[in-house]
Amino acid sequence: MKEQLEEIRRRALDELTDGASDQQIEAVRVRVLGRSGELTEVMRGMREVPQAERPAIGQLVNQIKRELEERIEALKLRLRQGALERSLAEARLDVTLPGARVPRGRIHPVTQILERMLDIFVSMGFEVAMTRDVEDDFHNFEALNFPPDHPAREMQDTFLVGGGLLLRSHTSNGQIRVMEERKPPLAVVCPGRCYRRDELSVRASPMFTQIEGFMVDRVGRITMGHLKGVLIEFLRAFYGPETGVRFRSSYFPFTEPSAEVDIHCLLCKGAGCRVCKHTGWTEILGCGMIHPNVLRAVKLDPEEFQGFAFGFGVERPALLKLGVDDMRLFFENDLRFLAQFPSLAGGAA
Amino acid sequence: MKVPLKWLEEFVSVDATVEQIARRLTVAGLEVENLERVRASFSGVVVARVLDVGKHPNADRLSLCQVDAGAAGRFSVVCGAPNVSRGMTAALATVGAKLGDEPELEAAVIRGIRSEGMLCSERELGLSQDHHGILSLPDDAPLGTPVADYLGLDDVVLDIAILANRGDALSILGVARDVAALFGVRLHAPRTRPLRVERHEGDGASSSFAVRMAAPEQCPRYAALKMTGVRVAPSPVWMRRRLELCGMRGLNNVVDATNYVMLEMGQPLHAFDLDRIAANTIVVRRAGSDREFVTLDNARRALEAGDLVIADPEKPLALAGVMGGLNSEVGLSTQTILLESAYFEPIAVAKTARRLGLRSEASYRFERGIDRAGQTAALMRVAELLKRYADARPEGAIADFEPRPAPVREIALDLNRMSALLGVETSAAEAKRRLVSLGASVRRGEARGTLKVIPPSWRSDLDEAADLAEEVARLSGLEEIPATLPARVFSYAPANREREFFRDTREVMLGAGFTEIDTLAFISAADNEKFAGIGHGEPLSVHNPLSEELREMRRSLAPGLLAALIFNLNRQATALHAFEIAKVFARVKGEVVERYHLGALSYGDYALSEIGRPGVKAGFFTLKGVAEAYLRALGVAERVRFKAPAPEHPLAFLHPGRSALILLSEEPIGYVGEFHPQDAMERGLAEQCTLCELDLQKLISYGLSPRPAIEPPPRFPAVRRDLALVLDREFPADMILKTIREIAPALLESVEVFDVYEGEAIAPGRKSVALALRYRATDRTLTDEEVNRTHAGLVEQARTRLGAELRQ
Ligand SMILES: [Zn+2]
Repeated sequence: MKEQLEEIRRRALDELTDGASDQQIEAVRVRVLGRSGELTEVMRGMREVPQAERPAIGQLVNQIKRELEERIEALKLRLRQGALERSLAEARLDVTLPGARVPRGRIHPVTQILERMLDIFVSMGFEVAMTRDVEDDFHNFEALNFPPDHPAREMQDTFLVGGGLLLRSHTSNGQIRVMEERKPPLAVVCPGRCYRRDELSVRASPMFTQIEGFMVDRVGRITMGHLKGVLIEFLRAFYGPETGVRFRSSYFPFTEPSAEVDIHCLLCKGAGCRVCKHTGWTEILGCGMIHPNVLRAVKLDPEEFQGFAFGFGVERPALLKLGVDDMRLFFENDLRFLAQFPSLAGGAA
Repeated sequence: MKVPLKWLEEFVSVDATVEQIARRLTVAGLEVENLERVRASFSGVVVARVLDVGKHPNADRLSLCQVDAGAAGRFSVVCGAPNVSRGMTAALATVGAKLGDEPELEAAVIRGIRSEGMLCSERELGLSQDHHGILSLPDDAPLGTPVADYLGLDDVVLDIAILANRGDALSILGVARDVAALFGVRLHAPRTRPLRVERHEGDGASSSFAVRMAAPEQCPRYAALKMTGVRVAPSPVWMRRRLELCGMRGLNNVVDATNYVMLEMGQPLHAFDLDRIAANTIVVRRAGSDREFVTLDNARRALEAGDLVIADPEKPLALAGVMGGLNSEVGLSTQTILLESAYFEPIAVAKTARRLGLRSEASYRFERGIDRAGQTAALMRVAELLKRYADARPEGAIADFEPRPAPVREIALDLNRMSALLGVETSAAEAKRRLVSLGASVRRGEARGTLKVIPPSWRSDLDEAADLAEEVARLSGLEEIPATLPARVFSYAPANREREFFRDTREVMLGAGFTEIDTLAFISAADNEKFAGIGHGEPLSVHNPLSEELREMRRSLAPGLLAALIFNLNRQATALHAFEIAKVFARVKGEVVERYHLGALSYGDYALSEIGRPGVKAGFFTLKGVAEAYLRALGVAERVRFKAPAPEHPLAFLHPGRSALILLSEEPIGYVGEFHPQDAMERGLAEQCTLCELDLQKLISYGLSPRPAIEPPPRFPAVRRDLALVLDREFPADMILKTIREIAPALLESVEVFDVYEGEAIAPGRKSVALALRYRATDRTLTDEEVNRTHAGLVEQARTRLGAELRQ
């Protein structure tokens, strides 16, 4: 009996070599340790064993059983390890292939630049107000002190939609709309769309974006010096702290004194080049002290209140800043153009 | 306005380079857009006198001339010009001269006679096309002087953009005035010999002509002078040269002299052939019943009753301030002229000029406003030129009719108020000096620190104190105003709701993979009809559109998105996922309504494709998913429902079976749907194109309304039970959910559709809808038994209420 057991053990261990496969191991396990395996058979024959030897035989059976189980467990562990190692070696990816396409959009460059500009004004204490695109003559022209025969009021310059209404030709109507509603002190920027009868071309578009800004308070509290200070601050924040800024006398019906503001040409930094017609300057916005007649139009006494106003288009500075030279790019929506702009805030600006 | 530097220097001399002058003018509002250097096209040509003219021995049509070129010497030259005569002063090209692109002039032997130079025609000197004879110079021209110097041909022309309010600067003198004021130097106005002036308050007659002032509202002043003995001929070459540098062409000495004075002083003048004026009488009146008129350029012009004309008792002679007429034009036979120098109201001239599309140098100046008091001085100046260059003699005095004198403008200037406006202190002396330099008369006001200012007659733009402040600031230089920041502490500025809302909207769309586009708000009437939007109002049309394609203001963002899609597909793109936030426009009950919309278009491969595994293609459910994500982000998803449009009211441009209205609290706020296959086919779209549009105006108020109270995450686990119901194919999923929610026992936390199946084992026309139900109690862990009991009850009720079968 003992020999028989030793024989079972030896054979099993012989078969459970280091190189045994999963199936071989399983076969040994079933044959030896299974429900009707060799060891079970041995245990069944136990009653033929003399009573005195039984404990020893039993012990031996358990010992062999434990030994084989341990061996099998060890072999199986080794097999799993081997499989893992093989799979680590084989299941390599070409990590340089592209990842799955997770969608992410882009923000239109004009929006990015407009938002950047508004952020600067908001950080300087301006609030943002949006007003109507379809306007009446009073808010677009008359209240802004445009004389009745001013060329901008002509059919060839301004879109008319009937009933005395027109598509605003500038966001300056925002000044009137806001001041009709609220009393100074006011510091407001009005972004929005404007319309002029220009064909869409490299230089112009029948629809474009402007920002109108104004600040009004009691006489003496908001001066032309402040107009200069605020605009220089804004222009340096937007174009860079080194930007040269120049104020030139000019004329607008709704400001007096009026000025045109130039910044150093972004291309030649003021040295003069073809783009700036060798002047070294680029015209960037118009501004001035709000004309007394404009204040009168919104029922403010010019002896009591004064303020400044400024206005500028967004597309042109956007072109300058992006270093491209075609207005149509903004309205064609060519993905090959739009996809170049990062979609994170402040990316383009 | 083109200003030749040499001409300018006749009125003002400044110790500065032309670049410095240009820079100073630019900053002061007279923007010098260009400095053009002009040169003579020749060299080696000097002033010479013809001492003797003899016959060429070997040629009938040539003469042999002895000429004296002063210090340059005496020469013998062969000349073929018919007009060469003894004593004439001419331009001599000496040996070595360069004429245009010709090779250097050499001494030549012409028909056996040696010629030591050449007497030049205007064409040879590049002065004009005239080649009839040699150029005749004034007798006082100094012999031996280079002709280029004598004629002042080397010059710099300043091209100045004149602002709309600066009519006074539309002349050499006007610009010189600003230069003098800016550099603090004296202005030398042209000095002319005074002529006698007869003043008339209304109509009147001089000894030889009469004027009837029938329209004083449009013409408050009209001055005229008769000149006789006129010899019409070409004007002197220097005058023509100046006209040319200023962009005008020489015609004859009479017309050129009037133009010359206009350029110099800013006062447009007109010369009539007086012999062609009936009854020697001028009538300044409205056109009235006159219907048409032939202008100098030989064009027939239609008149309107309100047009201001200069007429004689029989016929109109000129469109006042715009252009003269052919019927009284000065020509070679003219002997007697009447010179007109008037002030026409800017609006009157502008209306006529604009209507006729006829912009002349004169109308340009009248429109911008000329010197209100400059009429007689200009007549004296032109009379002097005509006396000298056309042998003309004034007859009688200048007749000066002024039925409506200019109002006296006296402006009170408070210096403290000016400092408060500009943000810089200006002394009374400084302000006075600046204003006087412009030609204003200034005296002390009664109150301390005030001035009384009468602006000069040529500055019609100066009306009130702010205008004077601008002049002081402009002349001192805006750079003198220190840049400072306002002292006031700003109160908190509330954020703009719309802007924040659009930013949020953009953020969601961006995260969903959509790219923002920007399109024009103008579309064709046909597109506006087809893409009628979400049902507010009639189209808003533009009365003066740029083209039919841009006739109306869009009611929907869909056409713009589709145009962007086509544009990109034509450039080899295969997919587009784009959105736009912009205004749409309509008329509602006569009122114009403008509203912000969000539009989105999705086409082609959408997401999550990778090598070896195709991704998701855009379609109804992907774009609906984006819309739902957006509405969830706004916190309004609970109040929104998607509903198939009623078959009798489909959205015309969408697939009738694959489109939905989006309702917010049962009110339509948008749509999502696949583009109609017919339209897609017509546009050659290969893939599914899906559109979505939402009225943001309605969402703004919801999106920002207070959010429901926040609850902590549940503490006890949920238990899921699935359920499959078999119903009619057409039965909408949201009805199932709605029904189940209605019968929901308190323990049902949520119910969702997770699969829909048609096909094997399901009867035709039926579908199986698989639902996931989650049960949860807030105060305990549910037992299996409790869930089973609750679920069984719910299933039974759902089955009967929905008329469904259970699928096992
Ligand atoms: Zn440059």
